[in-house]
Amino acid sequence: MATLDRSRPDAAALDRMLLQHEVEQFLYAEAALLDARRYRDWLALLADDVHYWMPIRRTMTSAELDREFTRLGDMAYFDDDREMLEMRVRKLEAGSAWSEDPPSRSRHFVSNVRILETAGDEVTVEACFHLYRSRLERDIDNWVGRRVDVLRRTPDGLRIASRHLFLDQTIILATNMSTIF
Amino acid sequence: MADGAQTQQAWDRAGILSLFDPSTGTLDRRVLADEALYRLEMERIFARGWNFICHDSQIPEPGDYVVNYIGEDQVICARDEEGQVHVLLNTCRHRGNALCRAEQGRAKSFVCSYHGWNYALDGKLIGVPGQKAYYRDDLDRTRLGLHKARAENYLGFWFATLDPEAPRLRDYLGDVGRTGLGMICAHGEVEVVDGIQKNVIACNWKIAVDNLFDWYHVPYSHGSANTAGFLDIARILHPKNQMVMLGEYGHAIGGPGIPKELQAQIDGMSDAEREAASRAQADTGLRIRPRAAVELMGPTGVRSMGHPNIFPNLWITLGGLQMCLRLPRGPNHTELWWYTFVPKGAPAEFRRRVVRQAAHVFGPAGLLEQDDGENWSQSTRASHGAVSRRLGHHISMGLGHDEARPAGDGSGAYVESVIGEHGQRWLYRAWTEWMAAADWAELEANHSRPPLGTV
Repeated sequence: MATLDRSRPDAAALDRMLLQHEVEQFLYAEAALLDARRYRDWLALLADDVHYWMPIRRTMTSAELDREFTRLGDMAYFDDDREMLEMRVRKLEAGSAWSEDPPSRSRHFVSNVRILETAGDEVTVEACFHLYRSRLERDIDNWVGRRVDVLRRTPDGLRIASRHLFLDQTIILATNMSTIF
Repeated sequence: MADGAQTQQAWDRAGILSLFDPSTGTLDRRVLADEALYRLEMERIFARGWNFICHDSQIPEPGDYVVNYIGEDQVICARDEEGQVHVLLNTCRHRGNALCRAEQGRAKSFVCSYHGWNYALDGKLIGVPGQKAYYRDDLDRTRLGLHKARAENYLGFWFATLDPEAPRLRDYLGDVGRTGLGMICAHGEVEVVDGIQKNVIACNWKIAVDNLFDWYHVPYSHGSANTAGFLDIARILHPKNQMVMLGEYGHAIGGPGIPKELQAQIDGMSDAEREAASRAQADTGLRIRPRAAVELMGPTGVRSMGHPNIFPNLWITLGGLQMCLRLPRGPNHTELWWYTFVPKGAPAEFRRRVVRQAAHVFGPAGLLEQDDGENWSQSTRASHGAVSRRLGHHISMGLGHDEARPAGDGSGAYVESVIGEHGQRWLYRAWTEWMAAADWAELEANHSRPPLGTV
């Protein structure tokens, strides 16, 4: 891991810090939009070719952990393109999406943000997430996991080109997943 | 928690039969909430009936296994070296510990993590540490194999029962159950897509099951999916062309039916013509079944585009593309397990489209199922209020207005009419009969045959 020498400012290290800061601020702002249910503004942060995916995780023995997650193309909880995500937002706005009306109270936490790779105009970012949902009188859901996002730099700012969500639960302990992760 | 009187009540035959009145369609809400009834269901429905365990394609090789449930009894379904399939209770005969703690995998044998007892894939006890030194060879291993369920398969679907008196699977399924499984295979051999979606809904398992016959809720519960442009309810609903099939032991199919005149036109088409016509209406997602489908589904069943339920808890949906198992977890919780099928060896592009569509409709994030869970959990919750629970559920739609006819190929009957609640009534009628019967002999003697005439 690179260390900073405070006596000699290092241009490369400063660049990394700026990128880290930019990425974190982007992810926090995005989380705030979701918590505020500003779904249209959230959609604007997605690239047109976005892929939003949450595979199924299984309880497997350590000898077979390579099969713990379903692979791309097999069954998943989310396997969405932009059109599908827009559909989800239109559903939330319909006024009759009963699983979100009265709306859930959600809090999106993003932490342990690490930049895994920068290639061209794309940054691959790993983070831990914790989505807390309070619903109706007493329903509480907690979804915790690891996330790998590809963020793309565009003239309008960073855009989410892909989001792959790896939950820590196997059996989903919730009536539904009607919120956006 | 429910009060002592409620949990302690012992249910006698008359009491159980009074819980659903088929002449009015009134359901006592205790059916959805009572702890003692739930315990009885484990004995008299799940341990007695045939339960779906897995599809052949999930365990193709020797040593492959999956874990599933018969009620709350956890089972291992394993394929042995000879290719035979065994369904075994997942509990060591020594101190009860679970042998398998993964959901699926491949094993040479099953070794208990407590004291190391070792069982073969067919359940035989083949190794006991200290057999000589500690047991002094005074342990009859032949009597201590894993408890074995009866396992039989129909069209590659493995079912198991814990009741030695149960009829053969084929007879248990009857015409209507066989039609339901036939629907999945109507276009040819299928395989399970890797990945079973699993989630828990805070509802009684039966309110989830009866909903599959309910085409009345679709425009309202799922209105937001329609508004969003995801689902064209008007195109899928066919409120005036509904067909309900009623089978022995509580199996039923409910939903849109192909009118006889339209089926006559289809019957006149070759398979190639049917394929071409299916492609032309690709947006509905439904394919016209080939000629051979009638052998799997029967002359009436082949006209069904509805939802089969294999009693008690196996729902077949989307024209046979998916299956959902509703596993009871106490009176107030149900696990939903979604299985998705594709034709064996389907081209990658076709497979991709089918799988994504399936993920978007059902499952916990599915645009339809999101809203179902909330309805079911609120209905279950309202079965606990002291006064609420004295109010019946009213399942009377269409009662006395329709005609049941013989399905023409066996014991099943069918009703063609507008949207109604015949399927739900048949389910709860069967449920009371299963619950009131002490054993298979009593159930055989006292269960309703599919009705003919006014229903």
